[in-house]
Amino acid sequence: MEDAEAIKRCQQGDREVFRHLVDRYQKRAVAHATAILFNRSDAEDAVQEAFVDAFKAIRTFDTSRTFYQWFYVLLRNRCYKMTARRRPTESLDAALLLASQPGMSAETTLGLEKALHSLTCEEREIVCLKYFDGLSYDELATHLQIPRGTVMSRLFNARRRLQRKLSGTLVPEQEV
Amino acid sequence: MNDLSCEDVLMAQMAEGDGQETREQLAAHIARCANCQRDLKQLQTLDHLLRGHTFSESNLDLWPAVEKGIAKPTRSALGWRPFALIGLLLLVHKLLEMLPARDPGMTFKLVPLIIVALLFVFIKENPFRINTELVLER
Repeated sequence: MEDAEAIKRCQQGDREVFRHLVDRYQKRAVAHATAILFNRSDAEDAVQEAFVDAFKAIRTFDTSRTFYQWFYVLLRNRCYKMTARRRPTESLDAALLLASQPGMSAETTLGLEKALHSLTCEEREIVCLKYFDGLSYDELATHLQIPRGTVMSRLFNARRRLQRKLSGTLVPEQEV
Repeated sequence: MNDLSCEDVLMAQMAEGDGQETREQLAAHIARCANCQRDLKQLQTLDHLLRGHTFSESNLDLWPAVEKGIAKPTRSALGWRPFALIGLLLLVHKLLEMLPARDPGMTFKLVPLIIVALLFVFIKENPFRINTELVLER
């Protein structure tokens, strides 16, 4: 079933058909929420609440956008609300959040996770969307509703902080 | 290439790697700037490292929890009729109060207060609750 058809039926009050949208987008949404919250359990809670928000607001769905673009705004709001409530000491999941490709050691992955955790939510979000979702600068600008220049600078600052965090371990210093 | 800072050069150079447009003077700056050469190497290594990872997939099915959440009646599902009825009751009360040469007494004056209290009970809202949830639209 196409999203447009599912949305139309949801707008007419068909709750069961909303399952189609949840099934289709939940994995992607959990990955995006994890990028912001860096905690799998919180991310799943945020996604679940955002889907409930989406169903309640489905009558206001903006047909000029795709379902996920529209839903992502609700999801971000849920995640940032959660980060505002969360105490600073609450942190990294015990389990690995990242999956590496062959050739990368678990130690490298854990080091990268720790470095990502040291970023701000916004920096982590843009890095994850760029690398794990493969979005272009223009897509990032649309997705995050920020100018393209801000995409460049935010991404650069995030990479710079990651580079500094990892410079002693994962990114070897080069001889000048 | 003194018009460009090292930060500008590195930012633009990384953007080039992301498929963005290039500036010709970058190469010349990097060729003669040892700081940029070192930092660029590190950033490119980081780039490679990030490209080698993704989020591990969640296998949790959120539908049962979402279904429970959307099954709850929302405030808008109450409709406008109960509120219209309360408005009408308050209007009738006011009109009765305005009748000349009539002292309805203290109990009659408390009727609007009782109606409003019942309204909050009906919509299950505490009027004294402080809303601590921040709405952060980013």
